[in-house]
Amino acid sequence: MLISGLLAGVEHGINRVLQMDSTALPRLDRLSGKVIAVECSSPAFHLYILPSDEGLMLAANWEGGADVTLRAPAASLMRLALSKDKTAVLHSPEVELDGESAVLLELTGVLQDLDLDWEYELQRWLGPVATTLIGGHLRNSARWTSDSFASLSLNLAEYLAEESRTLVGKREAEARFAELDQTKQDLERLEARFERLAQSLTSSDNA
Amino acid sequence: MAALYSGDSDMNDPRKGSDAEPTTHFGYKTVAESQKAEKVAEVFHSVAAKYDLMNDVLSGGMHRLWKRFTIELSGVRTGNRVLDIAGGTGDLAKKFSHLVGPTGEVVLADINASMLKVGRDRLLDRGVAGNIKFVQADAEKLPFPDNYFDCVTIAFGLRNVTHKDDAIRSMLRVLKPGGRLLVLEFSKPTNKVMSKVYDAYSFAFMPLAGKLITNDSESYRYLAESIRMHPDQETLKSMMVDAGFDRVTYHNMTSGIVALHRGIKP
Repeated sequence: MLISGLLAGVEHGINRVLQMDSTALPRLDRLSGKVIAVECSSPAFHLYILPSDEGLMLAANWEGGADVTLRAPAASLMRLALSKDKTAVLHSPEVELDGESAVLLELTGVLQDLDLDWEYELQRWLGPVATTLIGGHLRNSARWTSDSFASLSLNLAEYLAEESRTLVGKREAEARFAELDQTKQDLERLEARFERLAQSLTSSDNA
Repeated sequence: MAALYSGDSDMNDPRKGSDAEPTTHFGYKTVAESQKAEKVAEVFHSVAAKYDLMNDVLSGGMHRLWKRFTIELSGVRTGNRVLDIAGGTGDLAKKFSHLVGPTGEVVLADINASMLKVGRDRLLDRGVAGNIKFVQADAEKLPFPDNYFDCVTIAFGLRNVTHKDDAIRSMLRVLKPGGRLLVLEFSKPTNKVMSKVYDAYSFAFMPLAGKLITNDSESYRYLAESIRMHPDQETLKSMMVDAGFDRVTYHNMTSGIVALHRGIKP
């Protein structure tokens, strides 16, 4: 019952967020009737996700079969929930998919494309004038913060690479990595040639 | 109306009345069988308008979790036919409507016209339509063909039925072979301390809340009494087995205050 209560709370929160995106619910409606099972390997728990035009239903038990089963450790599931590129997480080796994977890819696509209309939600509570003022202020602050972080990151990278010479520059590092890759490939080719020569020597000895 | 009650002395044998007509329980009172449906109907006509609010107040919102668990165990899928008996304000029917999709069918049945009207209006107002039908029906004589439904549910309704055995047999008849019956109902607490607390809560707080919110304490006294008169977990299980259900199991919830029984039609 405790888990059911917890899931009900999470489900309510997720569905409130999904309602803020005008395209999410119609896209989820296309997945109505599908059951997605999530099996976490460590720690062990099961979760069932049932999309519909009302949002997502989360269940701790589901007696009907699942259309697709996702098996992964908690860390991968967490990365899947938080990562922007969810498809890349799904293709990682520790993640297993059984069944109709298109259902899960569509669901992750919906969650990845979420574009939440916070202003509409704010407007319902505060009215259009206050929302415009607050929205404008928040947008400016967000833009300033984002620009500042980008600038700080570039300056720091430049300082470490060019002035203090603590790290190599990005292009220099990429050139070295490319050389290393080339060397690795050359070694593998050489190894393959040796093996072929060794095999041909062995076969001629036998003859 | 007072002549209908024969007092508490006949409680141990509800079908033995002082006159020829068989009797049954109505809470702690014993009434003529023909009168029980009418008296239950009076209770629900009285509480229909504020039924959901009262459910939330009296259960502290727990009824939503109990129903949620029922949905989880229903195994209902796209295209299924589901019958929700005593569906009341349509909590289960709404979820089933989403689960079965446009190719499925949900029938919300209730013997009480007031409850059915509240449920129908509520669901239509929320855009739940198309695959859902509303039928006023008696659980003992379900007006549906044999082997018709994939799943039948009855949530907090069986204790109000006069002949529970007949109702369970009727549900078995309308289920397809392999279909499942889910009975969500108040039951007997498994914990003695919880039982004492629950008794105090039921007979003191519930009628008081009924008085304050719906101005009707008697209906909620009946609720508390009818819960005590309802068969406990094992008795209901054996009733389902006797009716012909297979693989009957039950899950206690909230220390047995509520139990979910499940049986499969062979």
